[in-house]
Amino acid sequence: MTTKQQLISESPYKPVLAKITEYVRETHDSFTIKLDWKIHHQPGQFVFCSLPGIGEAPISICSHSDEYIELNIREVGNVTKKLGQLKVGDELLVRGPYGRAYPMRDFEGNNIIIIGGGCGVAPLKGSIEFIEQYRNKFRDVSLFFGFRTPDDTLFRKRMDVWKEKFNMHVSFDKVAEPSKACYDGSQGFVTQKVNELVGDNTNTVVFICGPPIMIEKTSEILLNKGFKEEQIFVSAERLMYCGMGKCGRCMIHGRYTCLDGAVFRYDELKDYKDD
Amino acid sequence: MSQQYVLKKENFNNFVEKVMADYDFIAPVKAKKNILRSKSLYQKISNPEDIFLDDHSYHTVKGFFNDPREKLFDFDGNKIINPVIELRQRVFFGLRKCDLNGIWHQDMVFLDNKHQCDPFYKARRDVSVLIGLHCNNGFEHCFCNSLDLRSDFHDLMFFDKNNDFIIEVGSDKGRKIIEIASDFLEQGDNLLTEEDRKIKNMGHELKTTNIKKFYHHEDWKTKGADKCLACGACNMLCPNCHCFTIEDDVDFSLKKGTRIRKPAPCQLKHFTRVAGDHIFRQDKTARFKHRIYHQLQYFQDRHDVQFCTGCGRCIAGCPARIDWIEIINNME
Ligand SMILES: Cc1cc2nc3c(=O)[nH]c(=O)nc-3n(C[C@H](O)[C@H](O)[C@H](O)COP(=O)(O)OP(=O)(O)OC[C@H]3O[C@@H](n4cnc5c(N)ncnc54)[C@H](O)[C@@H]3O)c2cc1C
Ligand code: FES
Repeated sequence: MTTKQQLISESPYKPVLAKITEYVRETHDSFTIKLDWKIHHQPGQFVFCSLPGIGEAPISICSHSDEYIELNIREVGNVTKKLGQLKVGDELLVRGPYGRAYPMRDFEGNNIIIIGGGCGVAPLKGSIEFIEQYRNKFRDVSLFFGFRTPDDTLFRKRMDVWKEKFNMHVSFDKVAEPSKACYDGSQGFVTQKVNELVGDNTNTVVFICGPPIMIEKTSEILLNKGFKEEQIFVSAERLMYCGMGKCGRCMIHGRYTCLDGAVFRYDELKDYKDD
Repeated sequence: MSQQYVLKKENFNNFVEKVMADYDFIAPVKAKKNILRSKSLYQKISNPEDIFLDDHSYHTVKGFFNDPREKLFDFDGNKIINPVIELRQRVFFGLRKCDLNGIWHQDMVFLDNKHQCDPFYKARRDVSVLIGLHCNNGFEHCFCNSLDLRSDFHDLMFFDKNNDFIIEVGSDKGRKIIEIASDFLEQGDNLLTEEDRKIKNMGHELKTTNIKKFYHHEDWKTKGADKCLACGACNMLCPNCHCFTIEDDVDFSLKKGTRIRKPAPCQLKHFTRVAGDHIFRQDKTARFKHRIYHQLQYFQDRHDVQFCTGCGRCIAGCPARIDWIEIINNME
């Protein structure tokens, strides 16, 4: 009997190379890169980025195009810090896309409210770009963004464009004086703005992404205003290694964040937020 | 009705030798020293005399399908080098109903084409023939009679009946073994009674698998998690547990290395740790419950199949001797 050597050339764990074509330093601890990677994807999906020898990290796609991918990354650990040191022309390894997207088609004809806190604004940018591309399919679109300080504002150039197109409100937890980057937003939590300005829930869906406490508080406000759980879509973050329902790490009470999320309808997760 | 064959026990060694000419033969053997409460382990054998069928193996066979240090690929800088795995046709002999169902569950996870089939698992699975051995009697910790397991997931199934093994064929892979060893086999018909297909004297019983209503029960903590050492032995011994970590190993050049996949036990604290040192299941009770709810509820909700196979290895191998079946049986 013989031993057969089998070459595993097709493997879902095998990433491909992508080149950085643009690099924008957004804040002291985050940056946005554009990759020459052409994949079809939907708003809300994510990819894995890796640097051989360091590791992989799941990152949300923050653009919407079949021609390229943009990623906004916060430098918090090994992989993300090293990614931050790359420059235009450098290559990294990527695989994806993964995850369940926002069911955008189901929302046609609806008003859309998008609420983002801090780096949670990044994954929402993909859906905003989708809406920009299919603007006439949606009714009123409101954007609420909250950042810690004006210096933490992401996507400044896009914000200038969105300000003209949508009802946009930016709030800062605190405004340090004097700040050279002072963006025309108001002081306070994003939740206050939502509480103040969001009213009617008819034919409206809400996307929320941000730190867990912000998601919780915002959902609470909306539910109190009469929004139904099915109208609210939230993002969950969990440890992930595979993106395809195999490593089991991202499970929340039996649901795989990588397959069933990372975008969930509020009622799917509400009882198991910390599980 | 599947085909049946008779193998006289006196011909068993001849059967094994015949099969061994074409396949690696993996079967339970006597462990050198008693490992905790079991006396047998699965190993590749070279002598049929070594096969030991009188006990429930301590480990499952899952490590033969997913390498505990699976090399996903090598890299040299950004260049990826496809991995090569070594495969030999092999027969697993003596798999119990729980082991077979465990493999079926791993198939559901790793061969799931909808969410990417795992090529490593598939390659090893393709070269494997699964020969089951019916348990006439249960073992101290097992409770598969309390669960709804498949009885038809095997390539061949052996029933130990008096001086014979009665063999049922479950697949073409199994039929091939029958052809190879046909010198020692006789064809038969209706050789097994209902009684022969039962598993008697099972050590344990799980009163209910519907544990949804117990989610907030305090016994999970007081009778379970408070004693739990969070060692992950239950995960390692379970035929189903398949969770893993992916990490990069680099050599001294810091350029060349290997991306590796290895098992990750959900009972360990860092299982859910994300950047910023946030741990979702920080609390031991949450981790204890996670494993049991995955076994009895989550997989069922997703696939309509019970995950736990009732082998009882997690109880037999628990250093804190936590018997979670008893915990559930006493819940109200
Ligand atoms: C669906 C999803 C989308 C995300 N989108 C973004 C995004 O758009 N921008 C962004 O900056 N961050 C995003 N994150 C978080 C980002 O993945 C982590 O910050 C990153 O993995 C940290 O890796 P590290 O090596 O820098 O940190 P370390 O703490 O050094 O992590 C070591 C290893 O742990 C794992 N890990 C640590 N934290 C996480 C985590 N939160 N999620 C998954 N794996 C983790 C990684 O595998 C990493 O290799 C997202 C996470 C998820 C689950
Ligand atoms: S990331 Fe592996 S199962 Fe979700």
